[in-house]
Amino acid sequence: MKMKIYLIGNPNVGKSVIFSRLTGLQVMSSNYPGTTVEISRGYLKLGNDRIEVVDLPGTYSLESTSPAEEVAVSLLKENPKNDSIVINIIDATNLERNLLLTLQLLESGFRVIICLNMIDDAVHRGVHIDTAKLEEIFHIPVVPTCAITGTGVKVLIARIQEAAFSPRSNLSHEERWQEIGRIIETVQHLEHRHHSLREMVEDASVRPFSGLLIASGVIYSSFKIVRFTGEFIINKITDPFFFNLYQPFLEKLTVSLKEEGFLFHLLIGDLIHGKIDFKQSLGVLTTAPYIEFGMVLPYVISFYFILSLLEDIGYLPRLAILLDNLLHRLGLHGFAVIPLLLGFGCNVPGILATRVLESKRERFIAATLISIGVPCVPLQAMIFGLLGSFSGFYVGGVYLVLFLVVIILGMILNRMLSGYSPEFLMEIPSYRFPPVQMIARKLYFRIKGFLIEAVPVVLIGVAAVNILLYLRLFDFITGIFAPVFSGVLGLPQESMVALLIGFIRKDVAVGMLMPLGLTAKQLFISTTLLAMSFPCVATFIILWKELGFKDMIKSTLLMIFISFMIGAGLNFLMIG
Amino acid sequence: MKKISLTHMKPNHKGAVLEIAGCLSLENKLASMGIYKGKDIIKLSHIGLQGPVVIKSGRSIIALGHGIAAKIIIGIE
Repeated sequence: MKMKIYLIGNPNVGKSVIFSRLTGLQVMSSNYPGTTVEISRGYLKLGNDRIEVVDLPGTYSLESTSPAEEVAVSLLKENPKNDSIVINIIDATNLERNLLLTLQLLESGFRVIICLNMIDDAVHRGVHIDTAKLEEIFHIPVVPTCAITGTGVKVLIARIQEAAFSPRSNLSHEERWQEIGRIIETVQHLEHRHHSLREMVEDASVRPFSGLLIASGVIYSSFKIVRFTGEFIINKITDPFFFNLYQPFLEKLTVSLKEEGFLFHLLIGDLIHGKIDFKQSLGVLTTAPYIEFGMVLPYVISFYFILSLLEDIGYLPRLAILLDNLLHRLGLHGFAVIPLLLGFGCNVPGILATRVLESKRERFIAATLISIGVPCVPLQAMIFGLLGSFSGFYVGGVYLVLFLVVIILGMILNRMLSGYSPEFLMEIPSYRFPPVQMIARKLYFRIKGFLIEAVPVVLIGVAAVNILLYLRLFDFITGIFAPVFSGVLGLPQESMVALLIGFIRKDVAVGMLMPLGLTAKQLFISTTLLAMSFPCVATFIILWKELGFKDMIKSTLLMIFISFMIGAGLNFLMIG
Repeated sequence: MKKISLTHMKPNHKGAVLEIAGCLSLENKLASMGIYKGKDIIKLSHIGLQGPVVIKSGRSIIALGHGIAAKIIIGIE
């Protein structure tokens, strides 16, 4: 058998950062338990060998009390113990709780090396740990590290081969805690510190009154910053680029294409009042890049900047506590706030993150609510771009409708679905202030992911639509459904095409509504429909993968049915 | 000494875990997170009437759903 290295430790001790340091691979880390939902594997070069490194999900014990822990424990068993090295990563600020897993690892006969992470933070908080004494007690190497800055990682790599077996007799939980108490007495020295400002804020954010106050402040300012930064990028960077540099080039191209023919329609699209209009021309070189880079990307950048900041500071679990009550009524619990928030960036990572929820029922509810009622950044950017010119009332209206749908559908699903929703039980991390490089790296990582996923689909999507429009293939389909569309939803049959395109990408679909000259009411109804009706293809695939075929179909049918009902209802109720 | 469930305990009060009136798996799960019989804890807050309870146990802050908190019996002076 080949040698393997396993990274194991309690949730949120920095396993993924250590993994990145060892393998050079970029994996996402956040300051809350349960970031690792996909198992990362990479390689560490040790002398002439390449050894596989596996980043296991966080676990408190080897008894596997949650699905993520089960995964960790079963992976640990895939390799014979003699060919495995276990790096037990410990949060130095909380040595006591972390040692339970260490004892279990040694009792079970693994070859272990301890990585005492976040040592800088521990010292800062007045926690001093005698590593030499800890080595003496366990007879295994103990290496203090600070993974974020990289301190100690070289020593860790150099000493990996020293990892040792140190068999101990099996204890009960109670005996283990007594043993740990004795160990802590000898190796840990606590310096008395007064409550720091950080601890005071940590405290205030989990109390009912001050917590809600802080939460509203955080949410409001996040929203403001996202808008402000997005608009700033558009006004100062992307719009000047598109209008001053890119447009003259396209105008030359228009002249050389003589404003006619298939290629002209494909690349430039239609001229609006004899000119290229980035929002309405609908060509592969005009509207497609403008939607992605000029309207959506600025908001993707600003949204992920704020989200990454909140994640790494460790605010989100506190928000989860405050919202636990509300989410219980929707059949979820507090932690579901994290997948929901991620869904605002893009539904795909949101639905992936539902893996941290324990029961199948909860995951179905969360995934369905995300895909029906949580608009992703590209969609939101387009809603703002399109409806913003009418009045804030319409933009707010879309959000209000989506919010009500999430609440009502959640309550209904909570009543109707059998199964169970487990209780909230989570450790709340302390606030950490991530170095700027960490935030920048994460932002880069997410934006790259967005570009790789979105750009090809948008270009191909717009090209395909143009070809179909040029060949008049849509006319047949829209002709059949036109009566339903105009009668029940009050929409012109051309908007049907946009709704169909919504399956490819929602932002392109909203873009297709732009040239139609719809009234505010029609735009309101069609964007609401687009937001709720069936998921885009990427979300569709991830729903299939995560929920299975049957539940994915169930979820999709629900979305189509509800969005149609809401669309008809809005058309009926609204005047205008 | 008074026996009281964690949900009835007042915020900012100290106590020791006396009993976990739940199934063995809950007891094990809590024990692995550092909440076990005899452990001293401080209740930090309680969100709403049926909401989660936040406690401090050793150096960790842990949030427990209302149902779980109701099953943890605390002894206070």
